[in-house]
Amino acid sequence: MPFGYIDPGSGSMLIQVILAGALAIPFFFRRVIADSWHRIRGGDRPSDPVKGGEDSDSRP
Amino acid sequence: MAETDWRAFLDRLYESLVRDGLIVDHEDAPLDAAALPGAVAVIRPRRIGLVSYPYEWAFSQLKEAALLTLDLQAGALDAGMRLKDASAYNIQFEAGRPILIDSLSFEVAEPTEAWPAYRQFCEHFLAPLALMAYRDVRCGLMLRDFIDGIPLDLAAGLLPGRSRLNFGLLSHLHLHAGAQRRAAKAPAPSEGDARPTRRVSTTGQRALLDSLRRTVAGLRWEPSGHWADYATTTSYSDAATVSKGELVREMLSAVGGRSAWDLGANTGVYSDMATTAGYRVVAWDQDAGSVEAHWRRVRGDGNRSILPLVLDLSNPSPSIGWALEERASFLERGEPDVILALALVHHLAIGNNVPLPHVASLFARMARHAVVEFVPKEDPMTRRLLAARRDVFEHYSLDGFRAAFGGPFEIVREMPITDSPRTLFLLERR
Repeated sequence: MPFGYIDPGSGSMLIQVILAGALAIPFFFRRVIADSWHRIRGGDRPSDPVKGGEDSDSRP
Repeated sequence: MAETDWRAFLDRLYESLVRDGLIVDHEDAPLDAAALPGAVAVIRPRRIGLVSYPYEWAFSQLKEAALLTLDLQAGALDAGMRLKDASAYNIQFEAGRPILIDSLSFEVAEPTEAWPAYRQFCEHFLAPLALMAYRDVRCGLMLRDFIDGIPLDLAAGLLPGRSRLNFGLLSHLHLHAGAQRRAAKAPAPSEGDARPTRRVSTTGQRALLDSLRRTVAGLRWEPSGHWADYATTTSYSDAATVSKGELVREMLSAVGGRSAWDLGANTGVYSDMATTAGYRVVAWDQDAGSVEAHWRRVRGDGNRSILPLVLDLSNPSPSIGWALEERASFLERGEPDVILALALVHHLAIGNNVPLPHVASLFARMARHAVVEFVPKEDPMTRRLLAARRDVFEHYSLDGFRAAFGGPFEIVREMPITDSPRTLFLLERR
């Protein structure tokens, strides 16, 4: 196919859907385990892992 | 930008992002200042010091910009919005931190719609970071050619096989590139075919961001360059170091400016001196390792007055992009009050064969004042440069320096450095 007509966008969307679906399962269980652990220990819910926990090094 | 998006951004996100220092704040301007009819609002964002580009950032700077972008997207998801683009050019460095400068990047999103900026994030951030970490840190300079991020097929081809053992890179880069390749082979859509909307569960969206964040945070690169070690292997005696430092401080005070560019800053010994003299400093160096070490140091010290950046002065960042107007060249991005060129001119004149009058005329284009060190041929460092080449530099002498720089500049002060054959000049543009 001529180079100018290739749109990588549709492949990106497709892989995003597949990866998000696959990653959601361990992510969900990790959150459940982290929540339970903190409930058992009586602490607050940990910060959302997406917004950073221990490796949140975008801010000082 | 749709009015609903703008109002939602102001209601849900703006204040907290400004409070946390994640986005540049703005003032409202009168509607009649709009460039086009039908504007919903006109804003005047606060101006930041110097605009820098991803191809001038050290590894950790690009990584911090990537993590900020992911944090912003995560925060936007919480507010029922999203970042519609993930361009590295939307991030700038100000007061020692990355900050988003594009207030128009947010839009209201359906909770299950796929993130349209996923590909751009991978091309602008993940691919160059992976290449820098796994292949060579100088791959960051590829962003100068690939203004919209490094194509994933190219990145996947250049990365070593072991990068596939990194689950995040395998997913977001290698498999991503493969999916793009396969999609390109698909038949063209028939006339009237609606563009499919891809759906991702809200947990899936979070999981994707979490995975990108872990992948980016896990990429590491340690500087081990020649220049990063230079400060500890320098040829000066203690007396010369003290004398040079005192002279630099005196000259900077005499200029009495507020902004300085330290050219060939290495890991920033003299940039530090300039900040104690009250200057905001942009510290340029061609060696990515030195800039990385310098950035880590100013970050660790909480020094908000220095911005280290990568630049090869013999081939500085050009104007690039559409009509060569998208990204400004190095010389078009403002003029500091003073430039520092310490232990630099011999590299340009002898290492790069640039005649002294050309060095002088470039310096004069850059700033009104210059503090320049002349390192003569008898200095051990210049002797090292001359060791591997024929000495064709007959005009490279103190008199030659005075004649060359005396053209565009007035020589305000000329001071020998104690216990050293070197001389320090304070120059003022004619």
